Amino acid sequence: MDEILNRFYEVAADPYKSVEGWKRKTGKKVIGVFPMWIPEEIIHAADILPAVIWRGNEPVTEGHAHLPPFNCGLTRSFVDDAVRGKLDFMDGMVFYRMCLQAVVLRFIIERHAQPQPTYLEHLYLPPVFDRSPCLKEFLIEELETLQRGVEGLSGKEVTVDSLNRSIKIYNENRGLLRRLYQLRRAKPGLLKARDILVMVHSSMLMPKEEHSELLKGILGDLEKKEPPTLVKGAKRVIVSGCLCQTPSLDLLGLIEDSGMAIIDDDLYIGSRYFAIDTDVNGNPIEALADRYMKDEPVCPTKGEWQKNWGDYLIDMVKRNNADGVISLLVKYCPPHLCWYPAVREKLAEAGIPHILIEVEHEVTSLEPVKTRLASFVEIMTGRA
Amino acid sequence: MEQKEYKLNMLHTTMGMGPMVDQHWAELRTAKQRGEKVAWAAGPGFILPYAMKMKCHFMAGYSSYCAGRRCGDQVIEAAESGGDLVDTCSYHKLHTGMFYAIKKGIPIKEEVVLPMPDLMISARLCPEQSHYGEALHQRFGVRVIGIDHPIPRKKEDFPKIEEFVTREHKEILIPVLEEICGKPFDYDELRRILSVLKETALIRNECWEFFKKKPTPWTLWDYGVSLAPVIYMMGKPEGVTYYQKLKAELAERAAKNIPALSPDGEKYRLMWDGWLPWAFLGRIIRKLVRYGALPICGRYPWEFFPHPEAFDPEAEDIIYDLVKQWYSGQEILWHDGPEGAVELNGKLIEEYSIDGIIFFTSKTCRLWMGQQDMMTAIERKYGVPGIIIEGDMVDSRMISDAQIDTRLQALFERIDGIRKRQPF
Repeated sequence: MDEILNRFYEVAADPYKSVEGWKRKTGKKVIGVFPMWIPEEIIHAADILPAVIWRGNEPVTEGHAHLPPFNCGLTRSFVDDAVRGKLDFMDGMVFYRMCLQAVVLRFIIERHAQPQPTYLEHLYLPPVFDRSPCLKEFLIEELETLQRGVEGLSGKEVTVDSLNRSIKIYNENRGLLRRLYQLRRAKPGLLKARDILVMVHSSMLMPKEEHSELLKGILGDLEKKEPPTLVKGAKRVIVSGCLCQTPSLDLLGLIEDSGMAIIDDDLYIGSRYFAIDTDVNGNPIEALADRYMKDEPVCPTKGEWQKNWGDYLIDMVKRNNADGVISLLVKYCPPHLCWYPAVREKLAEAGIPHILIEVEHEVTSLEPVKTRLASFVEIMTGRA
Repeated sequence: MEQKEYKLNMLHTTMGMGPMVDQHWAELRTAKQRGEKVAWAAGPGFILPYAMKMKCHFMAGYSSYCAGRRCGDQVIEAAESGGDLVDTCSYHKLHTGMFYAIKKGIPIKEEVVLPMPDLMISARLCPEQSHYGEALHQRFGVRVIGIDHPIPRKKEDFPKIEEFVTREHKEILIPVLEEICGKPFDYDELRRILSVLKETALIRNECWEFFKKKPTPWTLWDYGVSLAPVIYMMGKPEGVTYYQKLKAELAERAAKNIPALSPDGEKYRLMWDGWLPWAFLGRIIRKLVRYGALPICGRYPWEFFPHPEAFDPEAEDIIYDLVKQWYSGQEILWHDGPEGAVELNGKLIEEYSIDGIIFFTSKTCRLWMGQQDMMTAIERKYGVPGIIIEGDMVDSRMISDAQIDTRLQALFERIDGIRKRQPF
């Protein structure tokens, strides 16, 4: 089990090395995709590895010549990596307008990434405001644009069969990750939150087939294992936010060390990534469009107006018998910034204890956070 | 050497804009009492409710009004007491703050209070405009319609985007307007509004010609306060009258050689790339005037607004024609993206003989991303230097005088350096 876990850590801790290493070993191509809603299956079906763009592990330096300090950590870190040549192994990059900060990325990469990726795409994935036919048809057109683009890069046709095969591979991986989360709910403390996060994150960086095999191995071991007894009185919390980037592992550790057990999460590098499957049918592009149009998990970047993110979280709290919610808001993330008051109001109305912690790419001073977390535990204890 | 004393010569016509704008917002404030339907709009959608005789608000228009009435900080404070955070878009917070203040009985000036709309049209030109719609819907129960307005990355994408946006207007927005107003969509009224708007804009374009004159008889700030008749007050004959008067005053100044900056006109002609700093127009222009500098043109007031002079109000498919101007017609949204911005800024530099550019970047708005790279690209191609000023359109906490002063000084020193190197 430790060996598999170490492998996940190895991949997630240094994606530059692991993704490039995979490319060198296999001789295949890699496309960096911007997080959340680009259907990786289309890229996979062209026999290319889709690697979800990650927030680097170094402070931003040269990137500040291209983006202001009040951009989010992911965009600044990504641009910094690209202009310093750290992403030179990527054969392609795919962006979309998930937020305003993503609009300019292609413009910067075209001018400054060394070397230039062979394939650069900016998709106009529409919001899902009311799921009108015109939105869905435009979305399908965009997915077909991606399909043509990756076919051009790989020289391989993406057929209905190959795409359905990729969809099945992705669905299987999602199912295994959901099994992992069910296990965490059933046996809190079995794995640390940082272990769980690394297991999900590595899925975004390595071939799904390989990741699923590793997951099957570790799940078998975990299902037999008994969790350590939780600290008496440990509070059960849900962690929410970080819509497109990794939260700090140290911060997750601090939450657990402060007398809380993270029993579920609403993070992108977490349950949001694998929450929903794609149907397998005769029109896989349409099936991928349907997955995008679904209203769960409620995503603030997609223009989801029919459902309230706060209600979605309240359901999660009830399902997990949780004591409270911790929102991790990435500094300068407009979708989360704009939604936050509505979520806060909903949780308050429902009487669910809640705390907001702003997180940044640069080092967050953990000591003040520790004090706030201690107060949060006291609040939850007072309500019990 | 004795320092020259510069002084602004204010225009008379622009003084008339304040009462017109006040009247617009007062009518909107009392619309419900008269039984009129009210719409709000972020982005270009406000034209359609006008055609249905609804009273309409416009997100940026309200924000500039609020800032101009010195109410910005007060309303933003109310928003933050309701959970909004300091980094959230200021325009967004002016609206959530106003509603939150009403809900919680927080005192704010009556003149910036608006009634709850029957409909909010949220154009996702900037994705934050859709978040704004979400917030109003989720927190205050406003009915919201979303229209996606993709910012094109390639000109080849114009046709497919035009078709998509046209369909959104016809299949999503118009049926809802018909339902709310209980009548079929009034295409004749739309054509009438667009005819008046076209007439206004054609005179506006003649006024723009005076910016080419050296010294200039007016400034970008003068145009900034004259925007309402071609935007959210469109379709009113008063708009035509206003621009006729403005044109006459500019012509008189040009004939008599009266510059906007006395004693003998501007020393530096600047382009302003970014939102206009609505709450700080006076504060910033005073700094510029000290150096003999004037803002002459800018991407925002030039290209963020309709260019009705280019379309035909009698076009068979008027909705498509309306949408087309944002894309292949006038390339307005192309210029919102970084690639198109470089193209447009280059054109403005040449047309208006620009010496330097101020890139005004808002700490709460990311629509102007890419300005660092634009600045480099433009300097390389046109030899025109630029600086970036970080600030905000409304929030006074985001404006730093020391930062602005040192950067302006650097800009003017650079322009002087370039001039010294240029052969006569």
